[in-house]
Amino acid sequence: METNMATPMELLCWGGDWDLPSVHTESLIVLAYAKFAGANLIAKPIDWTWRTITTTVPQLHHDGATVTEPTYILNYLRKQRFNADYDLTAKQGADTMAYIALVEEKLRPALLHTFWVDSENYSNLTRPWFSSHSPFPLNFFVPARHATLALSRILLTKGEAPLHSIAEVEGKIYSEAKECLNLLSHRLGTAHYFFGNTPTSLDAFVFGYIAPLHKANLPSGQLQNHLKQLTNLCQFCNAILKNYFTDGTPGSPPSSQETVDANLQKLTQLVNKESNLLEKMDDNLRSSPQHRPHRTKPKPSALSNEKNLTPA
Amino acid sequence: MSLAAEAFVSQIAAAEPWPENATLYQPLKEDQILLSDCASSLAVQAYLRMCGLPVQVRCRANAEYMSPSGKVPFIHVGNQVISELGPIVQFTKAKGHSLSDGLDDVQRAEMKAYMELVNNMLLTAELYIQWCDDNTAAEWEIRRKMSAVGWAGKSLEQVYEDVSQCCQALSQRLGTQPYFFNKQPTELDALVFGHIFTILTTRLTNDELADRIKAYSNLLAFCRRIEQSYFDEQDKDGQSGSSRFSKGPSLI
Repeated sequence: METNMATPMELLCWGGDWDLPSVHTESLIVLAYAKFAGANLIAKPIDWTWRTITTTVPQLHHDGATVTEPTYILNYLRKQRFNADYDLTAKQGADTMAYIALVEEKLRPALLHTFWVDSENYSNLTRPWFSSHSPFPLNFFVPARHATLALSRILLTKGEAPLHSIAEVEGKIYSEAKECLNLLSHRLGTAHYFFGNTPTSLDAFVFGYIAPLHKANLPSGQLQNHLKQLTNLCQFCNAILKNYFTDGTPGSPPSSQETVDANLQKLTQLVNKESNLLEKMDDNLRSSPQHRPHRTKPKPSALSNEKNLTPA
Repeated sequence: MSLAAEAFVSQIAAAEPWPENATLYQPLKEDQILLSDCASSLAVQAYLRMCGLPVQVRCRANAEYMSPSGKVPFIHVGNQVISELGPIVQFTKAKGHSLSDGLDDVQRAEMKAYMELVNNMLLTAELYIQWCDDNTAAEWEIRRKMSAVGWAGKSLEQVYEDVSQCCQALSQRLGTQPYFFNKQPTELDALVFGHIFTILTTRLTNDELADRIKAYSNLLAFCRRIEQSYFDEQDKDGQSGSSRFSKGPSLI
């Protein structure tokens, strides 16, 4: 325990929004687990830095070690004696592995689709958010890169012949995701957490996956609507946010760096606004009455999106 | 299958009883069959036997091409063809046969969760090990899939470790019960049996994986129990044209 407190643990992650400490599932899982286990993590958002393209997040740095991926990071924290699963029986530990597998296999593809492939959500929420949180010129390709990865992941793991196109896979992945949410709701029942009164790593995983779905302002939200009907899961999310994350979100940048980066941030935002404006002008030209309109619904202006999404 | 196709199949399935000439198709044994395909086929066979549904097993060199989804095994029942355990379970359910009807909602959730664990760990590990094992053909599709699920960077040692952990979880869940949900087997038992038995009885260049699994004695006993209860008597009939289920040494 002595050496743990000496060197601080840092976590590189995506920043927060929508009332969440992070908008990114994998980062949320680690942040939540750290809170449950009482580990003091210093969260360092990669927003507006070049790390948005160079670094896999979440990423833990401690004592010269670098650990990526939620499962391995949680293992590392457990080895440092930050163990939220200490009181679980062997069977409960086994159940944890099984339910995590279920969520990764049945829920994650539809979540990836909701945020990164669904065209309404992607253009109106996801891309603007990640775009505005990446420095120029990365804002042009950071979101697109995530989207491509998401799409190929879904197709490779779910698209079996002859279902090679995303349209054919969609029906299946959403129905599986809805069933998975139902199963989680059944399993949780009226309890506060999945294994009694204190949260464990399973709670961290489930929270990480469903919190963005619960909180994001999604224009096209069939899966979100389904989740809203499962009130115990929604309460589960809200309870964790209230009990563990209300005293200042860890996603906010540490004060020591704030003054240094503030000017750079402002400059980047201005440039982003400019490039978004140019993009919008281009879009407007293409969809002008002289050309055949592709969409009849009005698109929210890029500038107003910026105002809503960038933290004060 | 798309949702509409699934609903359609269920409707047709409900109309007719299980025929006597139902057939299961899988790739040829020996060199051609992938470890994972063998496990999947065994899981389906175990499931059908547990339901008391007779099926003949046929090995075909071009089984993947015969299958509507490209996946093996598939069953030919009446005039319908269905592949993979999930859809086959639904199909038999539409015909009024189910092993998991007695489970409550929470138990059903657990069952599905453990089935995903098996799929995630054991199936992926089997593919990975096949890919690394020099004696078997490495398919480019396997590599792509490995990268997609993030296994491309894993070492073989890490894969063995993951499989061990999965088996430990299964072993703990099983405990001293005869089956995962106590007295009666479900599709989870069939799936676990298919994979564990295959790993234990297939000869790979490296026996490390089998050795790790053997450390869990209740899993071994579980496999023996299923082999004895559901496979031994039927094999004595020696159906012509169909293969014996046990492709190598048995556990007994």
